Amino acid sequence: MILAHRLSVSTLQLAVLATAALILLPLGYVTTLALSADPAVWQRLWATRVPELLLNTVSLAGAVALLTLMLGVSTAWMVTRFEFPGRRLWEIALVLPLAMPTYVLAYVYNYLLGFGGPMEQLWQLMAGPQARIFSPQSFWGVTLVMALDTFPFVYLLTRSALLSFNVSFEEVARTCGASPLRTMFSVTLPLLRPSIVAGVALVVLYVVSDFGAVSLLRYQTLTYAVFQQMTGRSDNQAASILSILLVVLALLFLLTERWFRRKSRFYQTTGRYRAPQRLQRGWLHTGLLTACLASVVGLAFGIPTSLLVMWSLSREAQAILDTRFFGFVWNSALLSSLAATAAVLVGLPLAYLASRKPTWLNLGCLQAAYAGYVLPGPVAALAVLVLFLKIMPFLYGTVLVLIVAYVLHFLPAGLQSLEPSIQQITPNLEEVARTLGLGVRETWRRVTLPLIRHGVIVAWVLIFLQTMKELPATLLLRPVGFDTLAIRVWLEASEEYYQLAAPSALLIVLVGLPALFLLLSRDWRAA
Amino acid sequence: MHTLRPLHTIGVLARFAFAICLILILWLAPSSDVSAANTLTVYSGRAERLIKPVLDAFTAKTGIQIDLLSSGTTELVNRMKAEGDRSPADVFITNDAGSLEIARTAGLLRPVGMREVERAIPSQFRAADNSWIGLSGRFWIIVYNTTMVKPDQITSLLDLADPAWKDKVAIPNAGSEYLQAGVSVIRASLGDESTKKFLEGLRDNAGTQVYQKSSQIVEAVAKGQVPIGIVNHYYVYRHLATQPTAPLGVLMPDQQAGGIGAIMNVTGIGILRHTPRIENAKLLVEFLVAQDGQKMFADLDKEYPLHPEVKTDPVLPERKSFRAALVPLTKLAELREPTMQLIEQVGMR
Repeated sequence: MILAHRLSVSTLQLAVLATAALILLPLGYVTTLALSADPAVWQRLWATRVPELLLNTVSLAGAVALLTLMLGVSTAWMVTRFEFPGRRLWEIALVLPLAMPTYVLAYVYNYLLGFGGPMEQLWQLMAGPQARIFSPQSFWGVTLVMALDTFPFVYLLTRSALLSFNVSFEEVARTCGASPLRTMFSVTLPLLRPSIVAGVALVVLYVVSDFGAVSLLRYQTLTYAVFQQMTGRSDNQAASILSILLVVLALLFLLTERWFRRKSRFYQTTGRYRAPQRLQRGWLHTGLLTACLASVVGLAFGIPTSLLVMWSLSREAQAILDTRFFGFVWNSALLSSLAATAAVLVGLPLAYLASRKPTWLNLGCLQAAYAGYVLPGPVAALAVLVLFLKIMPFLYGTVLVLIVAYVLHFLPAGLQSLEPSIQQITPNLEEVARTLGLGVRETWRRVTLPLIRHGVIVAWVLIFLQTMKELPATLLLRPVGFDTLAIRVWLEASEEYYQLAAPSALLIVLVGLPALFLLLSRDWRAA
Repeated sequence: MHTLRPLHTIGVLARFAFAICLILILWLAPSSDVSAANTLTVYSGRAERLIKPVLDAFTAKTGIQIDLLSSGTTELVNRMKAEGDRSPADVFITNDAGSLEIARTAGLLRPVGMREVERAIPSQFRAADNSWIGLSGRFWIIVYNTTMVKPDQITSLLDLADPAWKDKVAIPNAGSEYLQAGVSVIRASLGDESTKKFLEGLRDNAGTQVYQKSSQIVEAVAKGQVPIGIVNHYYVYRHLATQPTAPLGVLMPDQQAGGIGAIMNVTGIGILRHTPRIENAKLLVEFLVAQDGQKMFADLDKEYPLHPEVKTDPVLPERKSFRAALVPLTKLAELREPTMQLIEQVGMR
């Protein structure tokens, strides 16, 4: 019995170590590739591209963070502090943009705000025929698109913080004579800071690793540059150098965020909790609130989706709905379910061992798995690519390479729901099962797995969704004749064939919706 | 009894996962060997919509099914190098002679001795050993918006580096193979110093107007977003074919006395060294160099057919009306690496 126990744990241990290696090896290999690159390449990059790329990436992240902060906090405030007809509807509608991949939003805005596009024509009617609006292919264009796509992260975190907010603090401030505005800025918002910062942190990581929007809107960031170097050069030296810079940038940011969060923790000292009451609003305010919320949701989801529907119904789009199109659908579905299954199978032992036997080794392996957070798609692709070329070149160009890249990239998203679900079960239950005579494997099968199945399903759905939307790694690693929906959107949209890209884009959004709602009730953080 | 249901679910899930793994393994296994005799795998650096109709015509004629992977040219060369003898590719078609020559020097392609080829395609458009064969020609031209500029003062590409054109020129990005090929030709004709000056001027004049796809450049010029662009000629004529009223003008650069001549590149085809489907591959080459194939292949993309007896699409300027640069296509490969260094040194995007 004891022997069997040891044996099975050690195989589990081996599996965990293998997973950690699978994740760290590619990253390590890219690092060595970058560090062993010709110093002349480093110098050339520093002298020419790096300052521009760093500045572009950081300023974009900053501007998007600021804009999502305003959008996210104000919308969360509106739906939590006021009561008005339609409030519950808006509460849900504000999450919808999460189902919209950045490249889809980027391509819709490329059309809407583009040169000679409908918005410009409208503006010219009012301001004269020579008037121009700002181009979507600019800093502000990219900022707008990214902010509209990611503000729900801030909204969701702020909203849940506001819902559990203890209103006594505000009342004290008011009693002491602070104006409502002053109360908001010196009591409420500072108390919400940890949640807001966490939301903005998600936004920044998302922006830094985005490929779809910046490539369609031609805005040079580090992630985009890695992709360009990989596709334009015959060696991967420059790409690996830029990748390492990108990883360092993301790491620096994550560490700052952790440090900041640790510095601003707030505690409730007494048990007196009162939930805030929603202010009942009259029709005038209702109108104003509805207009605000409708324009945000409209810009981020309503207008783009209706355009996609319109384009999908056009004759050009109908013509491509043939067996080939369904091949792309099948490819997408197959790849996503393979990646989700593989990631869950890989993630389970990691999360399990880390919570049951939290030795430094197991915890270290788990932390290693979270490395995917700072690995944007092209970097994950590059890492997997160079490693496979080095050790298993015969697998290059197969689906397996792509799956490994997905697992590497999306495992953190899965672990975020696997980990807590395992931690929630007390080990006592398993011990009882063992005492009653069940073997290790039986215990797993009949006790542990059934108890964590919700976490497993959520993790699976999350990774499925992410893979469905994933673009750069798929572009770089796809096997022959293996296009997915995401690739079709990007290929058609980058040649401005808006109608032809629409059916695939619409399908990605539609598949994302039910999954989004499923996750809303649980863990939406990585959607 | 209550525990039975979840147990069942998990059992099903586990079996499902197992089945998927099995499918994956079965599916990976046969990818390396020859699956069907009557197929051909084509790696194409040319956009899918510009090559698929020709390949479909080939399939209709011969019954040979084609698996097509359309991707970036350099990406595909990297891929074939990595795949080596296991590459599923039988044939490589792409838009840049330099890349074809790089594939040849990397030992990826095999020489084909075919009389049909030698009769149809003049020798300056083929590799020395016929490892790759040119199929159609394209020229680097200046496209301008006729309502915005009168390009009397421009005769050469080099003129676009003049500060007078600040923020008025759209160019392809640094990773574009034909930008690299074009710069290689300028370097070979004028030397590194002048080329560097030209690139610096061009970089400053283009600013953020740097595009991944040349069709976007033509689109931008047609809409008046930017008055001038540098592109391959067919992007303009393809745009005009769908929108005949677009205000687009074409300027064939460097035709003045002593000028370097228009920069030419070819689309070409090569057969992979290791392919077991050599006969099918040869049939495809034969199909593409024959008069009908040449006509279809060139017209689809508004390019110049290389077969001397095949007529050029009448919308294009007569081939005899302008002069091409004298740098041999096969030299593009060796010129490429220093060219890319120069491009990066200048800091083009």
